[in-house]
Amino acid sequence: MPRAIWRGSLRLGRRRVPVKLYSAVEDRTVHFRLLHTTDLAPVEQRIVRKDTGKEVPKEDQRKALPLSRSHAVILQPDELQTLEPAASRDVDLCRFVARELLSDQWYDRPYYLGPDGNSDAYFSLVEALERTDLLGIARWVMRKKRYVGALFLHDGYLMMSTLRRADQVLSFSGIEPAKSAKPTTNELKLAEQLVSSIASDFDPTAWHNGYRKRVCALIEAKARGKKLEPVKPKRRAARGDLAENLRASIAAAREREVA
Amino acid sequence: MPRRARKTNGHDSERAAAAVRSFWSGTISFGLVSIPVDLYSATRPRQKSMKLVDRDGNPLGRRYECSKEGKRLANDDLVRGYETDSGKLIVITDEEFESMAPEESRDIELHSFVPFEQIPPIFYDRPYFLAPSGKSSKAYHLLSEAMQRSGRVAVGSFVMRGREYLVAIVSENGVLRAETLRYADEIRPPKSIGLPKRAKANSKSVNELRKEIKALRKDRLGVAELEDREADTLQALAREKERKGKDVIEQYGLEEEAPEGGAQVVDLMEVLRKSLSKRASVASAERALTDKSAARREAGSNGKRSGNGGRHARSRAARSEAKLKQASKSELEKLASDLHITGRSKMDKAALLNAILRAR
Repeated sequence: MPRAIWRGSLRLGRRRVPVKLYSAVEDRTVHFRLLHTTDLAPVEQRIVRKDTGKEVPKEDQRKALPLSRSHAVILQPDELQTLEPAASRDVDLCRFVARELLSDQWYDRPYYLGPDGNSDAYFSLVEALERTDLLGIARWVMRKKRYVGALFLHDGYLMMSTLRRADQVLSFSGIEPAKSAKPTTNELKLAEQLVSSIASDFDPTAWHNGYRKRVCALIEAKARGKKLEPVKPKRRAARGDLAENLRASIAAAREREVA
Repeated sequence: MPRRARKTNGHDSERAAAAVRSFWSGTISFGLVSIPVDLYSATRPRQKSMKLVDRDGNPLGRRYECSKEGKRLANDDLVRGYETDSGKLIVITDEEFESMAPEESRDIELHSFVPFEQIPPIFYDRPYFLAPSGKSSKAYHLLSEAMQRSGRVAVGSFVMRGREYLVAIVSENGVLRAETLRYADEIRPPKSIGLPKRAKANSKSVNELRKEIKALRKDRLGVAELEDREADTLQALAREKERKGKDVIEQYGLEEEAPEGGAQVVDLMEVLRKSLSKRASVASAERALTDKSAARREAGSNGKRSGNGGRHARSRAARSEAKLKQASKSELEKLASDLHITGRSKMDKAALLNAILRAR
């Protein structure tokens, strides 16, 4: 069973909810080692000066923050240390807002929160949140780093997703298609029909990482000394009149439904 | 060939409006309609990324060496191997990797259209923008408009940089966004973590927490809570040292090496102005949240999607019954979708209006 990666305490005004943090995602990537082609010996990484190629030991390595293309400033290890935020177990809930205010672009990594010790405060918060459509914005310090997160419910448990920062998230406005690029009423009607003919509920179990499966199959086949047929690229979609293609697509979707 | 961590682009002091990386070009297959698109990162890197140098400020880099011969290796000298449980190494060539994910298919295949609110945030991975790349952007607008009207997003899959991605295509403000999704088997169910079974909560403590939540409830996001304090403190320190002339590296020679995989830095606004709409403008959430006048404009607009605050503006408008009664059915449908009203697809205009008034 995966272990908690951190313990902390949610602070909502005067109330506290002690929690443990667990990663909610599992790395399923197939990992490979880098090898030297000729002797299949593992590859090692060295940190070298770009101009001379000479190796630089760890104690002589420094970090520099670029301020423009042509200049940067070295930040010494002791200076970086002074910037570290004070250690704390507090997760401060700053505010609660409607869920819709955070678009998908903000969400970074999800963590389950579980009760730490007595579970009463934990399930009280679950119940209090359950009757709202709100999420909490939280800030905390974990392993010398500052985090921003969103607190919400998932599957009847508390979840905290770390968030991207405000200057990272981009959005657009003022999109007005040129006249020539505006779809006609008829085309729109057909497109909406096509959308509803392929509409369904979100069922995550329906999708599988075909690539990962194929890579695993290839590894297995090669381990047994066999070869695998390469995957054929898919055919490209037809080209032609927009409305014609839409009608044909709707008909095809209907046929699939009947079959 | 080895996939290193992407290099970031934090060293422009003036920070171009939306300098992001271009990743992929291909086609969205919407039934038999093909929509040629380019894919761009929709997030900017944080401004805290630092470069490795030596004590004198000479830029450092990574080099690969063979552990046996100690010889310096070029990318062509490298191959990937999988170590089995028994310690056997299975070598997979680049050609074999390529054949597992034939990039030449270049298709985002749309599987189905689902209500966006049905995708839990735990699935969200990384956001990208899609810009039309063909001669005409008509099919792009068509898909965008049709999805916006239906309140649905498209779930599809595609191959990028030798990996297969599950993706939700979202239409927002006339722009298509692609949010890559985690696969179901990458998400741990609460059971696997050993979270305890739900216990009945003490109603007194539920009420107390509810009061605290109510006290902390706000109508808008607060930019101060969402800004990058880590980057800000780093920048401040570096600027101060620069003023004092301490540890400054001139002629830093930061010209980036050609990024691997052909990811180019482009100005997103330029791209969208050229390909989509002359009046397109881009803003970071930081700017959008700070810009108070924009916030007021959003709050006043009724039913028009506008940025991250747009949905919020609509729910605020929902409080005004008089305004709602003048709204068209499709505007009401959008509102109902934002408010997560169930069964809305079967409601007529009057039923929608009632449900919205009840929900707020």
